[in-house]
Amino acid sequence: MEIKASNLQIGYGERVIVDDMSIHICQDKITTIIGPNGSGKSTVLKAITRLIRYQQGSVVLDGRDILSLKPKELSRTIGVLPQLHTAPSDFRVKELVSYGRMPHQKLLSGQRDEDKRIIRWAMEVTGTWDFRNKSIYEISGGESQRVWIATVLAQKPDLLFLDEPTTYLDISHQLETMQLVKKLNRETGIGVVMVLHDLSQALEVSDHIVVIKDGRKYSEGSPEEVITPQMMRDVYNVECDIMHIKGRTKPLIAYKQLA
Amino acid sequence: MGKSKLQKNRAGNSLLKVGIVWAFLLAALLVMFLVSIAVGSSRIPLSEVLDVFLGKAPETTTAIVRSLRIPRALVAIVVGACLSVSGVLLQAVMKNPLADPGSIGVSAGAGTAAITILLIFPNMTNALPLFAFGGAALACVLIYLMAWSDGVDPVRIILSGVAVNAVLGGYNGFLQLQNSNNLSGVLAFMNGSLSGAIWQDVKIVTIYGSIGLLLAFLCIKNANALQLGDEMAKNLGVRVNLSRIALSAVAAFLAAATVSEVGMIGFVGLVAPHIARMLVGSDYKVLLPTTLLMGSVMVLLADTIGRSIWPGTEIPVGIMMSVFGGPFFLYMLRKRGKFNGN
Repeated sequence: MEIKASNLQIGYGERVIVDDMSIHICQDKITTIIGPNGSGKSTVLKAITRLIRYQQGSVVLDGRDILSLKPKELSRTIGVLPQLHTAPSDFRVKELVSYGRMPHQKLLSGQRDEDKRIIRWAMEVTGTWDFRNKSIYEISGGESQRVWIATVLAQKPDLLFLDEPTTYLDISHQLETMQLVKKLNRETGIGVVMVLHDLSQALEVSDHIVVIKDGRKYSEGSPEEVITPQMMRDVYNVECDIMHIKGRTKPLIAYKQLA
Repeated sequence: MGKSKLQKNRAGNSLLKVGIVWAFLLAALLVMFLVSIAVGSSRIPLSEVLDVFLGKAPETTTAIVRSLRIPRALVAIVVGACLSVSGVLLQAVMKNPLADPGSIGVSAGAGTAAITILLIFPNMTNALPLFAFGGAALACVLIYLMAWSDGVDPVRIILSGVAVNAVLGGYNGFLQLQNSNNLSGVLAFMNGSLSGAIWQDVKIVTIYGSIGLLLAFLCIKNANALQLGDEMAKNLGVRVNLSRIALSAVAAFLAAATVSEVGMIGFVGLVAPHIARMLVGSDYKVLLPTTLLMGSVMVLLADTIGRSIWPGTEIPVGIMMSVFGGPFFLYMLRKRGKFNGN
């Protein structure tokens, strides 16, 4: 499965937020969109997943324009975890995850055995099955994020979109979430597209990185190709060295401001 | 092992809890039904009420019960069900626990149309339900026109509702001042009264009510999805704006069905869903039926108290609901502090 976004222009009214954006997303890979605050990276993610409209350009999923797909059809192919999501405080973990099956159910149908099996699979693969009967407000932030990821996984999508999945989490939960993303991609073959703030994490887990600056694509490629002192200077206005360390597959970013 | 057993018990408990709540509400409904038949300008002992159903009661008693008390109780039950379900749907649409057919101007729209007919075109009173529907639908469209801007924003809907309510309220007041010699029917209408309900009313309100309630049950999944936030609902394949419009339309239909028959009764759509939510939680699969039963019991109770609390006078059910519903709601707000989501 692949998604091709071509020449997207996205904006509200007169204001253009993202212009001339083309992105190619392949399954099996982890693609990360990075860029400074307000650069339009979440906007791009939302437009590609049809959460918001775009003014010009096209998004094509396996040869079909996503605007021509039925909403349920689209949600069986791609799953999006938005940055903002809420649930009533009395919802239990398992109850919430079961909502992921909605795109596969008819208006009046209940849970079939297949639904139950997939809900259980989604919870086991995210390590949330053990606290399935807890209220979603009894669990930690990291656990909660895993539950929401399980909900989207229960849609059985080919591509998983995560909008800043580590924001608001402490470092241990951030790493836990990143490990989960990597594991999901390696073990289940699901493609992942995410927006990240943390460049070190982007560098570690991504196969492909897209850099956005002021609503336009600055560069894209493998982490090593993209994350360079030049890019850091141009896009973030930050001086740094990229350091290769023996025993680590990926380099580290050393910021000069803090040295 | 011990832990997983405990968790199993908890899930089982919540099902048991729903069962208990439903059994209790059904029992309360049955008891209130019998009590409301017994209570009135002429009191009928409960044993005699039971005799009526067995065909052993005196003829006059049977006549009173059959032609006056039973229809009135049935209208109360259906009206309570419609108003409370209307409220619980609007709360899903607006993600706002304060939403109620009264608060977004739907009832006012129906009421305004009805009052206009009563005062200005009294010879068209027969078509009152039709005009009330028209008024409610019009108010709904108006609210959406004002609230729509690239989608429906819950806050804007409620603000538009307040504005529509205010304008219609002013118009209603003006109409009443201009026609102060012909107010008794209008007053009963404004304050929501079940007095004089006959089998014909039962028939009309049940037909419209059951259509509306059936449609409401079809809305359960979408109402649930809306609780997870708009973007999450969209991700799950829900057409968010279309769902909002459909749910509001069903809510308006339910409210209009009651307004045209018994006038404006407030707070049912606010209080019944809140109590139901506290008892069974926020899943509309159980919340909606619980709310429905709660609303029926509540209106039946309010009407029975209204008929018996002040000998010789009947207090309209709308006034009863405002007098008790308002403070009760404030009390709950103070005591619980939280309802859903936070």
